[in-house]
Amino acid sequence: MRRYLGLLWSWFWMIFGWLYFLVPLLATFLFSLRAKKDALSFLAYERVFKDPNFWSTFAFSLQIGFITILAGLVLIVPTAYWIRLRLPRLRAVTEFISMLPFVVPAIVLVFGLIRVFSGAPFFLTNTFTGTYTVLVAAYVVLALPYMYRAIDTGLAAIDVRTLTEAAQSLGAGWPTILFRVIIPNLRVSMISAAFLTLATVMGEFTIASFLVGIKAFGPYMSLVGQNKTYESSSLAIISFALTWAFMGLIQLFSRGRAEAAVAGAH
Amino acid sequence: MAFLILQNISKTFGNTKAVIDFNLEVEKGEFVSFLGPSGCGKTTTLRMIAGFELPSSGHIWLDGEEITFQRPNRRNIGMVFQAYALFPNLTVAQNIGFGLQVRKMERRQIEERVREMLSLIHLESYADRYPYQLSGGQQQRVALARALAIRPRLLLLDEPLSALDAKIRLELRQEIRRIQQTLGITTIYVTHDQEEALSLSDRVVVMNQGQIEQIGTPLEIYNYPQTEFVASFVGQLNLLPITALDLAAHTCRVAGQTVRFAPDERYHPSLERPRLAIRPEEIRLGLAEGANVLHGVVEAVIFLGAIIRLRVNLGDGILISVDQFNERSFVPPRIGEKVTLHFPIHACWLI
Repeated sequence: MRRYLGLLWSWFWMIFGWLYFLVPLLATFLFSLRAKKDALSFLAYERVFKDPNFWSTFAFSLQIGFITILAGLVLIVPTAYWIRLRLPRLRAVTEFISMLPFVVPAIVLVFGLIRVFSGAPFFLTNTFTGTYTVLVAAYVVLALPYMYRAIDTGLAAIDVRTLTEAAQSLGAGWPTILFRVIIPNLRVSMISAAFLTLATVMGEFTIASFLVGIKAFGPYMSLVGQNKTYESSSLAIISFALTWAFMGLIQLFSRGRAEAAVAGAH
Repeated sequence: MAFLILQNISKTFGNTKAVIDFNLEVEKGEFVSFLGPSGCGKTTTLRMIAGFELPSSGHIWLDGEEITFQRPNRRNIGMVFQAYALFPNLTVAQNIGFGLQVRKMERRQIEERVREMLSLIHLESYADRYPYQLSGGQQQRVALARALAIRPRLLLLDEPLSALDAKIRLELRQEIRRIQQTLGITTIYVTHDQEEALSLSDRVVVMNQGQIEQIGTPLEIYNYPQTEFVASFVGQLNLLPITALDLAAHTCRVAGQTVRFAPDERYHPSLERPRLAIRPEEIRLGLAEGANVLHGVVEAVIFLGAIIRLRVNLGDGILISVDQFNERSFVPPRIGEKVTLHFPIHACWLI
């Protein structure tokens, strides 16, 4: 009887939790279907997808996202590797630094960046390329917690030091060790770091709106939200779907490997 | 000139002296073990030969060439690690071929060498498996093949069997010796397991607290240990306190009983607190002509399978261990029973 009650209780909380998450989402979704009077339709979605600004801002942020991922990986993979290999005492420090973006508000970060990089000796914000560089740099900082965590966890799963030494004793130099031993074993964590970064960049508002304004996806979504009732709901659902798609892709990539492992065992 | 020479090697980490004035010469084709408890500096010494640590002072020569500060990937020294360290993303064949690929060898030659190595370790049919699909013993054999594939000048093994089950350990131990003999490769083997060191090696280096205690053949190490540490670390040893010592007559008193010992120039016992050393397996139950005889009371009987170990109180609380071979007809004495023990005069020595 007690067990039965416990089961009931846990089901109750689970259903409660689901409702808490799903009801607003469902309400938004239903609302987004009411663009046409007295009928359910995908009109709001049609309008969003027909808006050239939707596609241009989406493409812009996607590009910035990819560059951010590349820059972040190039910066963080060798750094995290070297810290694990040779400077383990620095791990606490780097972990703290990687958490700073959670502590420093984005608005502070972007004002600081503009102050430093709009005057002498760096006139970066005077040109498009310069501004994009500052944007990517800011996003690398913003993505640092996700990236560093993911990569460091991946490194923890392999015996970095012994694998490095084994490769060294077989004659391998640093590039070979990094590209043939370390990076192939970090594939899954690099992919999840990449998707988390992409999701962050796609939805980011504060920094983008101050540096590039309406060119980026985040400010565009916000503008639509302020001006168009139904379209804003449909955008919310679209961005939700996007985030979930990214998470699904992470799952797919990490599971793909596990399944291959099991299949290979036969 | 010896093939591998370690000259006055010392290594300090901060305030700790890990290795102190280590000197060793190894001949080509020789199998040498570094034996000692954990933290004695054996692994650090091995890592200095491999190039993963740099000596604080001293020199290392290999095949006439000084390698003290050479980068590890230039030394052409094969290494096998306790944790196998196979590359998880590569198959068995790719793991074995890794060093050859780094050397930009032709593909056909690599394939041939990999096949040769696989047959050496009897894992021909495992070429396309991944490391996680192999047992620990198989993984370590692949690691051995990988280290040997590059035809290294020297093979280093860092406690390669410590992570394995007792039975696999024994099997692989024989395998390592067989392969080493077949290839005639100069080998340094680090272990804390005396049985491994004694059964595998041409020579054993016993280390303690960063220093060499003794270098010798397994037989010398076991039968003529030079220091108290070696005597008690390698094999079992009774160390009995002496109450009176007559160096001229070669007799001493142990627990009120007289024991004769043979003179031996190899030993210079400390005169402040001399003790009588004797291995448990040298002692027998009963009386014998011309041997030392001791009387005591059985305190414990420990059954170890092939051996039955008795703990006998000689009086004054002095305990002596006695190992008896187990025979089916053997009836061990009961606890509290009075027993007579004997052992040859040459079996005991002063420390």
